[in-house]
Amino acid sequence: MEKQATIGKGVDTVTVLLYYALVMVGFIAIFSVEFRMGDSFVQSLLELKKNYSKQVLFIGISSLVAVFVLLTDSKFFTAIANLLYMGGILLMLLTFVIGKDISGSKSWIALGGGFNLQPAELCKVFTALALAKYLSRPETEFKTLRSHLIAFALTLGPAVLSIAQKETGLALVYFSFFLVMYREGLPAIYLIVGFSFVVLFISSIVLSFYVYAGALAFIVLIVIYYFWRQIKRNFVLLAALLLVYFAVIGFKWFVDNVVFDKVLKPYQAERVLNMFGKSYVPKSPERIALFEKEQASGKKKDYTYNVKQSKIAIGSGGFAGKGFLKGVTTQGDFVPEQHTDFIFTAIAESFGFWGSALLLGLYFFLLYRIISIAERQRSTFSRVYAYSVACILLFHIMINISMTIGLMPVIGITLPLLSYGGSSLVTFTILIFIMLRLDADRNMVLR
Amino acid sequence: MEVKKDILWRVYLGFLGLGVFGFLILGKAFYTQRFEGSYWKSMGDSLHTKILDLAAERGTIYSEDGSMLSTSLPQFDIYIDFGADGLRAKDGKNFYENIDSLSISLAGLFNDKTAAEYKKELKQAYADKERYYQLHKKVSFEEYKALRSFPLVRLGRNKSGFIAEVKTKRLNPFGELGFRTIGLYRENSKLVGLERSFDSVLRGTTGKRLVRYVAGGVLMPVEGFEVEPENGDDVYTTIDVNIQDITERALMRTMTTNEALEGTCIVMEVATGKIKAIANLGRTPEGTYFETDNYALRTSEPGSTIKLVTLLAALEDKHVTINDNIAIHGGRWNLNGRTIVDDHHGPEVTTIKTAFTQSSNVAMSKLAYQYYTGKPKEYYKHFTALHLTGKTGIELNEEFSPLIRNPNKVKPKQWHPQTLASWGFGYELMVSPLQMLMVYNAVANNGKMMKPYLLNEIKSYGTVIRKNKPIVLNEAIASEATIKQLQECLAAVCTEGTARKQFETAPYKAAGKTGTAKVNDGKFKYRDGVYQSAFAGYFPVDAPKYSIIVVVKNKPHAANYYGGSVAAPVFREIADHLYKYSIDKQQPLQLPVQDSMLYTFAGMKKEVNTIASQFGFTYADQLAGNWRRSYLKNKTVQSQTVQTSNAVMPDVKGMGLKDALYVLETAGMKVQVTGKGRIVNTSVAAGSPVAKGQEIMLYLN
Repeated sequence: MEKQATIGKGVDTVTVLLYYALVMVGFIAIFSVEFRMGDSFVQSLLELKKNYSKQVLFIGISSLVAVFVLLTDSKFFTAIANLLYMGGILLMLLTFVIGKDISGSKSWIALGGGFNLQPAELCKVFTALALAKYLSRPETEFKTLRSHLIAFALTLGPAVLSIAQKETGLALVYFSFFLVMYREGLPAIYLIVGFSFVVLFISSIVLSFYVYAGALAFIVLIVIYYFWRQIKRNFVLLAALLLVYFAVIGFKWFVDNVVFDKVLKPYQAERVLNMFGKSYVPKSPERIALFEKEQASGKKKDYTYNVKQSKIAIGSGGFAGKGFLKGVTTQGDFVPEQHTDFIFTAIAESFGFWGSALLLGLYFFLLYRIISIAERQRSTFSRVYAYSVACILLFHIMINISMTIGLMPVIGITLPLLSYGGSSLVTFTILIFIMLRLDADRNMVLR
Repeated sequence: MEVKKDILWRVYLGFLGLGVFGFLILGKAFYTQRFEGSYWKSMGDSLHTKILDLAAERGTIYSEDGSMLSTSLPQFDIYIDFGADGLRAKDGKNFYENIDSLSISLAGLFNDKTAAEYKKELKQAYADKERYYQLHKKVSFEEYKALRSFPLVRLGRNKSGFIAEVKTKRLNPFGELGFRTIGLYRENSKLVGLERSFDSVLRGTTGKRLVRYVAGGVLMPVEGFEVEPENGDDVYTTIDVNIQDITERALMRTMTTNEALEGTCIVMEVATGKIKAIANLGRTPEGTYFETDNYALRTSEPGSTIKLVTLLAALEDKHVTINDNIAIHGGRWNLNGRTIVDDHHGPEVTTIKTAFTQSSNVAMSKLAYQYYTGKPKEYYKHFTALHLTGKTGIELNEEFSPLIRNPNKVKPKQWHPQTLASWGFGYELMVSPLQMLMVYNAVANNGKMMKPYLLNEIKSYGTVIRKNKPIVLNEAIASEATIKQLQECLAAVCTEGTARKQFETAPYKAAGKTGTAKVNDGKFKYRDGVYQSAFAGYFPVDAPKYSIIVVVKNKPHAANYYGGSVAAPVFREIADHLYKYSIDKQQPLQLPVQDSMLYTFAGMKKEVNTIASQFGFTYADQLAGNWRRSYLKNKTVQSQTVQTSNAVMPDVKGMGLKDALYVLETAGMKVQVTGKGRIVNTSVAAGSPVAKGQEIMLYLN
């Protein structure tokens, strides 16, 4: 195996350009959030006190990291994939010991100098590598239940740790690997079951108990009608059907009483329910006590404040937007966390629908490009990895934008390449540039 | 190829899902921005902007000579925003560095909590991240200036989180002076006096401003959306601060010596009807006096002061002249089973003039009864001519209407002839002191009745927008001959009648009428022995300048209750000062005391020593006690000990307020102060017994 003569050789230029385009959009958006008329631009840029000036530094670091990644031998990634994965898991475990508390989530490790690292972000890359490694093993027969379970464990392990760190949003991203596995031959039944649970969950929120039970009963009756012959032959089927029916009804009880009252925090419950136009009414005694205490003290927080402000920002942008640095909501500091998770609102307010559509187009183009790259790979490792990159990005974009426009409850998750933050930007840079490195060697068979 | 097909199918499905979700997002974004755009925009506007009221500055009430009687001063409510970026930056470096010195400064300034308590509370509020922590309310401008130089606060709003909200406080610089007439303005409370009557003028117009919240909770005005507030107009009254002061003081003296319940005194300019002073004092349960109610406007049975009207009627209708004789049966007259009694025994027969000067009830009720029985309407028309049938129309909303039974509206059968007899000496009718004064003023003014008024002019930003001129209510309330006779009788009251003693030594001639009425209001019955002492009159007799009425309601079974001995001295005291000031010499009014600084000094022993040695005066002090009253004699300082004790009022005259406060408050008294300078008078005379906790009024000049 010979080393490449130049870094650039074989690297997909379109993706690199798309990457920089998005990063620049991100900088402009962060700038518009924080820059105020009258501030000295150059000075604050040099002083590294403002977020946008720090972001410039992160972009520089990311570019450097990108070069290093491109200089690395492709074989290195296949060789070290499992090791990195274990290192990542260790780092995540380490946060429980030396973790730094940043806005309620103990998932950061302080690096000194005001910079912090979020292992859960990095772990996405490692998990993608580890999954690619596992699926590309010659001995892996991705049809057996065992291989499915191992793949699940690989991807969901970090997710569980993320939930323990109270980073629900990051945990959700790990579910994107199911799409990759589906591409690699995971039976559709898993996705169908998963999707059914989502539908059940939503309908158990939206529908009242009787409507819910009635609708399900209706479905069961239809099933019985169509499968009457089979059932006539074997009444165990009917029993199983009824069992499923009651289990599903029990699921609603579970959602109402356990998920919202025990598992989710009051603010989470409120945010989820608010999405569907409902308000959270606590049922368990301790929650009721807490609720009443909050109301009595008059300090009850409006957990839907974020979404409201975010929608105000997006909605008031209109078709054409208000113009750069002219967004009232943005300049008025109304959207909390606007420079990180809610960066989309800054774009939407300033540049309106056309601006947001253009941004989504850029993302779409990037995803399309990555999937094309994935499909042109010869080695399974590269293909799985590229798909992982596409799916991680897709989940991030979907969840983030959905939450800002009120399609999904508010979950802490960044908008790839746009959101302020070193961990996030560097992670996505590594993620994308490893793929580009592998793609440059697409004629090689990597294992 | 089965595998390839399967994979392709999967990929397409993936793309489809992605496409659907992408369109969902795009669709939602489109919907939010295109169709809900205006809704969210307006919601944003409602959340991010608001209309602020810009308070208009309330106008000032001035006295005639331009002193401020009621004005607005800025006042500050101080809050702290513990969420301020600058305060929380670097883990609260600013806050923790300054908390100690700030707490000490605050404790020193406000004196309500110790530095440790301040520190604890501030730290707690910082921990709770309170955005609107109330530090202190009603901070004066002086305190606010000091506060701004404190550690942390001086770093400015962004770094300290300190917020000062400006409010205006209404202040009456002269305190109790004419308090009830001027009124007090407080938000959310009922207004009284001129503050109430001229509220619409004083208030001004509130301005409006549209503001938008920007970063850090700062409000930015939106250009083009502002209505400037229009400040209230200034009200110039006819009140003269000096006369008001004299009046209030004279009334206070009588009230305290007689322990009277309530009293009022009005001074009116004869020629114009201007109210120059209006004092009202009411006794509190603690025995001090405050301007509790506008008694000048409250009606009561006037008693003997109404006899002027009785006489006027009889003279004007030519039934009698003042030199006619009238039988008064020694002061007891039985009228259909009811006995009308005079205060003093009298002869069987006397002249009407003498009967008036001696305030004979028999004579006056007889005049009314004899000549008007069967024709009360004829009598009543004099009330109408004297405007005693309605309000005077003074610019105070609290005025009561007089209560006089109108025979025109009563069926003859229901008319009781005794009413006329009662009217004759001031019962069965209710008139307010102000209304009564108006009548006396008309007699002084040779029959020309002036409308009493308080408002000279209203000025808006310095320009006069409304000017009041004297209003004549009745060119002639009676014929010239009648008026002459009335004036003669009134003057005689002060030379040979019931008020003779009070005016024996006066350098001027006064005219007036005493009145002593038994009180029968809601609270007291006739048998309770509560008397209302009154004196209404004018001076100088030859060219009347001021008319004055004094009405004092005595305590039950008071030893001294005659109008001549309770109310007339107040008239005399006021008249003395006014005479000295404006009538006698036409020189500026000197307050009744001279500056004590010139020749005496009262203060601490040590200070007297220091002053003496500084100025090179011989002084040797071997006296006991700590307090001295010193004066200079032949370049030698002579000193007396000022006795201080807990049971007797020390003589604090001539002391500075600081020293007096120290002396009195160590003796356990509560001190109220008016004026500035040195103490010239005290509400309790020196040497009088005092009780612990008693309220003492100090008058400073």
